[in-house]
Amino acid sequence: MTREYQQIDEGLIKELRKISGEKAVIYEDKEQLSAYAKDEAGGEYYAHMPDAVVKPASAEEILSIVKLANKYGIPITPRGAGSGLSGAAVPIYGGIVLSLERMNNIIEIDKTNMVAVVEPGVVTNDLCKRVAEEGLYYAGYPMSVETSFIGGNVATNAGGSKVIKYGNTGHHVLGIETVLGYGDIVEFGGKRRKDSSGYNFINIMVGSEGTLGIFTKIYLNLIPLPGKTVDLLIPFRSLDEAIANVAITIKESSVLPTAVEFIDKISVELGSRYNNTTLPYQEEATAYLIVQFEGRTKKELEEIYEKAGKVSLENGAIDVFIADNRTFSEKIWRIRRNWLEGLKAFDPYVPTGDVVVPTAKIPDIMEFIQKTSKKYSVTIPVAGHAADGNLHPAPMKPQKMPPKEWMKVSEEILKEIALAAARLGGAVSGEHGIGFIKKGLLPVTKKKEFELMKIIKEDFDPNYIMNPGKLF
Amino acid sequence: MKIAILVKQVPATDKVKINKETGTMIRENLESELNPLDMYAVEEAVRLKEKYEKTKVIAISMGPPFAKDVLKDAISMGADEGYLVSDRKFGGADTWATAYTLKKAIEKLGGFDIIFTGERATDGETGQVGPSLATQLDLPILTYVSKIRELSNESIVVERTIEGGKEVVSSELPVVLSVVKEINEPRIPNFSGKMKAKKAEIPTLTAKDLDVDPEKIGLFGSPTRVVNVYYPKMTRKGVIIKSKDPEAAVDELIKFLKEKDII
Repeated sequence: MTREYQQIDEGLIKELRKISGEKAVIYEDKEQLSAYAKDEAGGEYYAHMPDAVVKPASAEEILSIVKLANKYGIPITPRGAGSGLSGAAVPIYGGIVLSLERMNNIIEIDKTNMVAVVEPGVVTNDLCKRVAEEGLYYAGYPMSVETSFIGGNVATNAGGSKVIKYGNTGHHVLGIETVLGYGDIVEFGGKRRKDSSGYNFINIMVGSEGTLGIFTKIYLNLIPLPGKTVDLLIPFRSLDEAIANVAITIKESSVLPTAVEFIDKISVELGSRYNNTTLPYQEEATAYLIVQFEGRTKKELEEIYEKAGKVSLENGAIDVFIADNRTFSEKIWRIRRNWLEGLKAFDPYVPTGDVVVPTAKIPDIMEFIQKTSKKYSVTIPVAGHAADGNLHPAPMKPQKMPPKEWMKVSEEILKEIALAAARLGGAVSGEHGIGFIKKGLLPVTKKKEFELMKIIKEDFDPNYIMNPGKLF
Repeated sequence: MKIAILVKQVPATDKVKINKETGTMIRENLESELNPLDMYAVEEAVRLKEKYEKTKVIAISMGPPFAKDVLKDAISMGADEGYLVSDRKFGGADTWATAYTLKKAIEKLGGFDIIFTGERATDGETGQVGPSLATQLDLPILTYVSKIRELSNESIVVERTIEGGKEVVSSELPVVLSVVKEINEPRIPNFSGKMKAKKAEIPTLTAKDLDVDPEKIGLFGSPTRVVNVYYPKMTRKGVIIKSKDPEAAVDELIKFLKEKDII
């Protein structure tokens, strides 16, 4: 769903410079423009040069730019930190990349209402640190927490490792101010936790990947800072045992863990080489779970890990390792957090899949992934968020296959896995979004919803200038 | 073989803050943890225990009552026992008085073949207690040990990390060893280790138990005083080379660096 777009000319650049200032517009400087041509999905594979980059500093500037783009028929690709994994920030039709990097102010930490009001370009971790100074907690935690922007998190409904306890990014959003594609500033929601007055537009904007509008202000829910944490590293001989353990551990320990992460054997092997470390039982274990619990006191945590550890040992765990200090926690999490970087060190072309299934179907999707791996004679390491049923298969390029051919083969592999996930009652993306990489899968797996999405798109962005080629 | 590990509880932070008035560390509201560098000492001792039969590993810490927790950490990693050296009278000890007190504890526990320490504690950052203890015990000390090459009941051969390389040194036992990070990768304690630590009794050794000379302990017995602690002043004088021509700018930069004898 795109339109015929016009080329950017000197006249338009002049107008853009008038809106955002001379320095905030990049034009004709290929080196600088190329930094905005790709995101973390496939890097150079999927790169496409923008014609211009604009870095506005306010909602008003964005509104003027959107109006201009409507007037001249120029596509706008909104961009956060470029840490996305679905190509949503790649300007595949050229035009304007609208980078939100300058809109990085934490506008307000409202301690009474326990709400943070931020601009979209705030780095997630910066917000977490800032609110922690006030004894508060922002519970969104995508794995890219150190680089990704809040705006991007909201635009993709980013997940991460704390979703089982706190929910994905959408759960923390109380309000959004946005410049919609047709050219107006609108505010949905605000500093309130309840609102049953009409349709919930926040939920439509969350995960819209810049196809409806550009966020200019975001209201986020804050909660009291949780106390201490303990991390359990649990190796298993079989994948089935590991997955079966997730529900049992949660039930028997009577506590909802903050995180239940899964990593398979090959991921641990490559990850430990990359991180220059080793995990216990690397030879024997086929799968590892990392389970994190929060508690107010050391004693409370001890009680929790005793129960959880005992249950795991009774249910097939080879052993249970307990990290209750920073050094050991970091050792456990480093491998999971650096999982993708670890794989990229061995194969720079590795794409990351992202599928979600009902938790109980994880063994089924893993079986399918293994079958696919054999079918294509390709190694597919898998890591993910076990308690959410959200897995990331990452097929690795066979050494002799040329990159161009691999692009097609890997896309085919990930497509097959995504469709299998949908057949199992899941979806083709759990937390990375659709971007343009998966857009063909939406009409197949969400036929009626897709038609409704199109209706909303037409109303919010009648000229199709907002991030064309994504989702649709 | 009988092995001791000296461990310390330190604030669980990377940012130690100093009270400007008193020159002492601000410890309020800070969680404590086992000094991360001591974990390597614990791990190395436990590995020797696993390798050599009839080896006993005892962790010792001097500190307030809650320092029992770090002894339990050592036990969870595989140490057999833990002893806490604790008495209000020991408070305010400098590195010499601390080493003296630990020496008395080691004598009380019947001496050891090897006494392990971490390279230094992450709070005080002195690295003095190990060497001072060895001196007061009249034992050889091998610092910066990165590998144990050979070990018998009488002697040990180790590699030491020195500037620009390694040094291979042998010593008779008993010996004090301070180890560096490169020596091993400390294990994450497992469930049974944690349960063992939970049940472990940690005896406390007081001034009376150790029969110490009251003039050599605590603040009073400390020959050194911290007179002042301050943050080093960092000053930077930025110079921006402005030129439209990149080559001319590079030439100017090179000239500048040559003038400063940097290149």
